[in-house]
Amino acid sequence: MQPRPMTLPRAAVLVCATALVAACAGSGPSAAPTAGPTTGGPGPATAAPTAEATEIPPEQVTGSLTILEWPGYEVEDFYPDFATKYTNVSLSFEFGASDAEQYGHMKAGSQADVFHPYTGWLQFYVDEGLAAEIDTSKLKNWDKVPDAFKAIGQIDGKQYFVPWDWGFSSILYRTDKIPNVDSWAVLLDPAYDGHLSMWDDGPAAVTVSSYIHGYDETAITAEQLEAIKAEWTAQAPLNHTYWVAPSDLETGMNAGDIWAGYAWQGSFAVTKSAGTPVAYANPKEGRNSWVGLYGIRRDTPNYDLALRFLDEKLGLLTGQNLVNLYYYGSANQDVMNGLSDPAQADAYGGAEAQALLRDTFGLDDPTILQNTNFTPNLTAEQRDAWTAMWTEVKAAQ
Amino acid sequence: MTTAGDTLRTGGAGRSIDPRRRTFWFLSLPAAAALLAFLILPLLFMVALSFRPDLSGQFLAPFSPTLEHYEKVAATGSYWNLLFLSTLIAFGVAAAATLAAYPLAYFLAFRAGRRAGLYLILLLVPFWTSYLLRVMAWRLMLDNSGVVNSVLDALGLIDEPLDLLYNRFAVVVTLIYVWIPFAMLPMLAAMGRIDARLHEAAADLYATPWQQLRRVTIPLSLPGVVAAFFMVFIPTVGEYVTPLLVGGAQGSMYGNIVQAFFIQAANWPLGSALSVIMLGVTLALVFVGLRVVQPRRLLAQ
Repeated sequence: MQPRPMTLPRAAVLVCATALVAACAGSGPSAAPTAGPTTGGPGPATAAPTAEATEIPPEQVTGSLTILEWPGYEVEDFYPDFATKYTNVSLSFEFGASDAEQYGHMKAGSQADVFHPYTGWLQFYVDEGLAAEIDTSKLKNWDKVPDAFKAIGQIDGKQYFVPWDWGFSSILYRTDKIPNVDSWAVLLDPAYDGHLSMWDDGPAAVTVSSYIHGYDETAITAEQLEAIKAEWTAQAPLNHTYWVAPSDLETGMNAGDIWAGYAWQGSFAVTKSAGTPVAYANPKEGRNSWVGLYGIRRDTPNYDLALRFLDEKLGLLTGQNLVNLYYYGSANQDVMNGLSDPAQADAYGGAEAQALLRDTFGLDDPTILQNTNFTPNLTAEQRDAWTAMWTEVKAAQ
Repeated sequence: MTTAGDTLRTGGAGRSIDPRRRTFWFLSLPAAAALLAFLILPLLFMVALSFRPDLSGQFLAPFSPTLEHYEKVAATGSYWNLLFLSTLIAFGVAAAATLAAYPLAYFLAFRAGRRAGLYLILLLVPFWTSYLLRVMAWRLMLDNSGVVNSVLDALGLIDEPLDLLYNRFAVVVTLIYVWIPFAMLPMLAAMGRIDARLHEAAADLYATPWQQLRRVTIPLSLPGVVAAFFMVFIPTVGEYVTPLLVGGAQGSMYGNIVQAFFIQAANWPLGSALSVIMLGVTLALVFVGLRVVQPRRLLAQ
């Protein structure tokens, strides 16, 4: 279950615009004149590994870096720490609007130095030899990352990924229409015919069913998958619509057409701040949580520069932007701790905004993470079977 | 196609090909190269992909071909139902768009006079905006609190908003709207070729306007009508963006299934097999359609 990390209103257009050109598999608009990675700059100071321990100061580092990103993530808000320090490095971006698309880019030989997968997809990159091991000793911000997050980026005991953004999936509901939601089962409740909204995603549907019925998500049997298919086939007519971009859900929620929907925490913040009476459920089966991570392409000639980029990605300002502007959690613990510190309210847009953010991430509930289910890694067979199940749900309508 | 006898000449110094012919080949080279690079090769690649077991390993490495993806599709009845439904939708959309565009083309060809060019541009202006924005605009039209429901409500015709958005109705309406100007173009071209004197002759022979239309204009513009129909029909069978945006949970088309295996799962081989099947079915339908209609014979009449 890997969310498309976009809460921007233009996300719908972006998702689909990218979907439109997906077949072209071309690189998107580049933010820098020098597109594509180069094997270090011609200057004396490059990102090439050096034997000496003397560190080259950021402003003297030259070169260029290509990042395979989600549409919308190319804006400087997402890397202010890097942009202000590495003024002589040019960044260019390629885009993939879904995990599958990014994986496809990488499989097809994308030359991006850095890529950005979500939990559920990490194993593939390692299995296919696309990810380089991360030398965490060179990351100054690494000790800001909680161990639980570090562990998510480890495959076979090695650190292949740097966690960066995270969030929840749960049920967003209108408190004026539904008094209290304590279970994921509300998404399948015929009582709310026409006012539900599921995310258009097979693995998400399997996850929800697994939570409700207590299935082991990593070992769904063929019989269970049949039952899940039947369940969601019956659920489809109950939807106002499946949502593709979060803005679909948020618009429907604000308008009162959708009463309960599968949602990421950003949608809660967006609808809540629009004045809509909404709540973000703590279902008895537990919320779901997902993490976005950065990987470095194994054969990149810019490994050291890529490491520097990821280090700055974990910077404080970058993390605060992620939280303030896009309602995503940061892997930098200082950023999240700051939400509970009244003295730091200004860094989060004031006390009121800070409170909304605390609410969004459930930080006032100390048990929330213990009751949260983290998205497991999938095998290729599982992913294919779950998406095939979902296509059959849609085809049966 | 011409035979070798037409083109080959016994020239003097080993020059055996007609220079004009050579120029023709030379001039068509860029187009042919583009077609080869951007149509034929990707198609072959897609077909090859559909026989690949999975995506693991090098992209261009040899693999042992398998029919498992075709077997999987063959065994999934709902995919075939959806393909049938998508074909039906495409047929309806193509027929409606062609029908709606015919009077437009007629007006531009015979009634607009000197202003025809201006009107044509005005008709095409909306199409300078993104396809996505136009589809999104239909959301504003059909939404529960959208334009249509608001107007009906204000007129007191409805108490509850009609469910216009997020179903197949919305998909069909949006697709018809999107295709009308495109369907108009081939018919406009066909009507432009009709000799105006034929209308005068018909009038001289006391044909009523209705008879002129039925006996002169319609038969002579039929090849354009057929072209317009298939120009809409073929891409609509595989449409996926419109159902994604306005179809909701119950408005999917076959293209969405294909898309899911490329965008949501990275199962390109299965997606390719689905595409190859759709391509085959569409081509077969077009072939049968053209055999039945026989536009060339229409023209001869």
